[in-house]
Amino acid sequence: MANSRSPRPAPDDAFPTSTSRLQAETEAVLLDHIPTQAQAESAQLPAKLNRSAHVQFLARNFIQGFPAKYTSQDASQPWLMFWTLQSFSVLQVGLDAGNKQRAIDTILTWQHPDGGFGGGPGQAAHLLASYASVCALSIAGGPGEKGGWDQIDRKKMYQFFMSLKQPDGSFLVAHHAEVDVRGIYCLLVTATLLDIITPELIEGTASFIASCQTYEGGFSSASQPYYSSMPYTPESLLSSPRPPLGEAHGGYTFCALASWVMLQPFLDLSPGGISRERPQINVKSLVRWLVQMQGSAAEIGGFRGRTNKLVDGCYSWWVGGAFSLLEALGVSASATGEDSRASGRDAQPGEEGKDGENEHEWDDVDDSFFHREALQEYVLYAGQHPTGGLRDKPPKNADAYHTMYCLSGLSSAQHRMFPSVERREQIREAWKAISPQDTLPSKIRKETFLNSLSWTEDESASKILGGEANRVNATHPVFNLTITHSESIMSHFYGQKVPSRARSSP
Amino acid sequence: MAKATKPLYSSLDEWADVQPLDQYEKVNPLAPIFYTDEYKDATSYFRGIVKSDEMSPRVLDLTEHIIRLNPAHYTAWQYRYRTLMNIKAPLDVELKLMDELAVKYLKTYQVWHHRRLILTETRDPQRELAFVEESLREDTKNYHTWSHRQWVLSHFNDSDLWRGELDFLDTMFNQDIRNNSAWHHRFFVVFQSGVREGEEDRERVVRRELTFTKQNISFAPNNPSAWNYLRGVLEFNKLPFSTLTTFVFPYTQPTDPEAVDLVDLDNPPPSKQAELPCPAAIEFLADIYESEGGESLLKANQLWKSLADEHDTMRKRYWEYRIKESLQKGSA
Repeated sequence: MANSRSPRPAPDDAFPTSTSRLQAETEAVLLDHIPTQAQAESAQLPAKLNRSAHVQFLARNFIQGFPAKYTSQDASQPWLMFWTLQSFSVLQVGLDAGNKQRAIDTILTWQHPDGGFGGGPGQAAHLLASYASVCALSIAGGPGEKGGWDQIDRKKMYQFFMSLKQPDGSFLVAHHAEVDVRGIYCLLVTATLLDIITPELIEGTASFIASCQTYEGGFSSASQPYYSSMPYTPESLLSSPRPPLGEAHGGYTFCALASWVMLQPFLDLSPGGISRERPQINVKSLVRWLVQMQGSAAEIGGFRGRTNKLVDGCYSWWVGGAFSLLEALGVSASATGEDSRASGRDAQPGEEGKDGENEHEWDDVDDSFFHREALQEYVLYAGQHPTGGLRDKPPKNADAYHTMYCLSGLSSAQHRMFPSVERREQIREAWKAISPQDTLPSKIRKETFLNSLSWTEDESASKILGGEANRVNATHPVFNLTITHSESIMSHFYGQKVPSRARSSP
Repeated sequence: MAKATKPLYSSLDEWADVQPLDQYEKVNPLAPIFYTDEYKDATSYFRGIVKSDEMSPRVLDLTEHIIRLNPAHYTAWQYRYRTLMNIKAPLDVELKLMDELAVKYLKTYQVWHHRRLILTETRDPQRELAFVEESLREDTKNYHTWSHRQWVLSHFNDSDLWRGELDFLDTMFNQDIRNNSAWHHRFFVVFQSGVREGEEDRERVVRRELTFTKQNISFAPNNPSAWNYLRGVLEFNKLPFSTLTTFVFPYTQPTDPEAVDLVDLDNPPPSKQAELPCPAAIEFLADIYESEGGESLLKANQLWKSLADEHDTMRKRYWEYRIKESLQKGSA
């Protein structure tokens, strides 16, 4: 509880600089949002999720429209849509059929005739807009003539993706635009959901991701490619020096790590790519950096996005949400060693039992790298705007972006998600091959499907600060969609039926 | 907001030949934005231009107008770039415009990327570093600005450009030794971009960097940027942390009121006002003990426990994980 972590101001060693001054000012504001001892003792904690206020805030903009200051988001209309729809999903709010259809029709106007989606009608196709559009369609859409899913031109989407590909394995976010790991994340999620991942598409991408890790342990936006003077062949890209451009950053770290997780089937199955060694990331320094991003008690345990910067509600997801991803790499705070849950590996008979044991242990083993209750406190105490919507920090206004990432972050602090070997096995048994099974593309395709949908909530490990009334839905750690939405859209595009989940009551 | 109200394109004869396109024609959209008339008008004409694929000087006016209303309109940027190339517009003029816009719209990706595209064409980076320094005055930790500087250095890779970087960093550190962007830039310059002129003696360079970092830690020990850099230097150069045991130890102890001022360049002591013990130092010392293994693991565990229970309780789970992990390794 809050009063057991007495807030101590960040030490400035009597050596103030602009960083420490700003930090002190922020802590002073946050202090007003920490419940007093009296409140804590009388159990009058303001730890209530103001669901209806947030739903109203979202619905107002969604149905009536966004005020003119959102003109700065005119090229991010798919994001406004996705943030709103996914916030509703996390808050367990469904849309009526009429609004669903309007959402689908709106989203489809953003599809570019040459493939991909743009930030609005008539705008150029963009990786970020493509991710947001396809994810929004995962939530609002469905199969059939008016459902939106079958109206996505996957062939042209793939061509658009390939047209952005760079020799170092990275991608431009749009034609004539920048390279960064946000774009790669968005491309990989889109390609995973739509079943258009091929070895050719992602050749070299894992190496690029690995080259973005900085000495601090987190990841930067991009790295600088260096080429030998030879005309381009895959070998002419030098592995070093290839410095990261920009420092370790929460948003980029999430995107890089999630991409790394999505690339595991390729790394496991592709025999070294084209004469390259299997790229590596430093997981130890990554974990260290991630935990260092959690603010102190004086910052109510919110997350910052870079060393010596301020906490911000959106990093509740970008950093707080990144911890579940580690489980896909076999890294777990329960420290039971390299376990069977590592992704991309075939489960052997007998391992199922082992996984069951691990799951059982979660009842009493402390289970996470970060302080889950504290993060929930940050979102509930500081992240909620009194008139609805969530925000960076007080006294800022709420907006659609922060509403969604604060809520998703809250979700990642409430629930424990892990890739379940048991679930994987169920889906594997139900898998129907549609092409020869022993080719590399079809193996990757199958592993991608299994990895993506084996994510399962460990219901015994939920921690809901403020009680059941505050419960929000669990979200897929890689896609940031609910598990149900992830399963529906992937089953559709992969032509599979996934067995229903047995909901074990806690 | 534009200073003087611009007449709408729909009222101008010279735009009469363009067929403006509404954004949503057949759909009643959800989540629409309430644009100003000015923005709606400009973007309708822009959609018309894109549709007819027109590349002409007036497209530059139109896209600049849109960019000033919404600098994140990446399609306007993209179309502007293609038009500039297509009509072979003078790029020095463009760059001057970018000088203004970069500072105005510091936080948009596009303004920096467009600058990069133009520089790639002009191949003249001479003004760039001074420009970056100027715009860092507005926002000392701006991610795009720092990345841009790093791109300029590595893309043009000209020793004249690289030469002044450490001096530039000195001015940044003098302003704020907690600016992590500056620390990252230092690592980029010293270690990750090849060996520069005058930096061939790597042992000397590493010594210099360690001295620099230790000194900064002594002024303000609770500065995670400096500790991360220190770790980075050691790990990158494959030096054991234990080379710094003597330096680190005093920082793991409570403040010593009896301490006398010492001048020890190799092991500068904490300043008198330092708030000790410093959790980053305790973590560092624990890492040293862990790498020694054997009996020292106990000492590492004690330190982690002190972090978990007292000095860094927010990360309690993590420190407990480190204890569990080391015990497993120790017994393996």
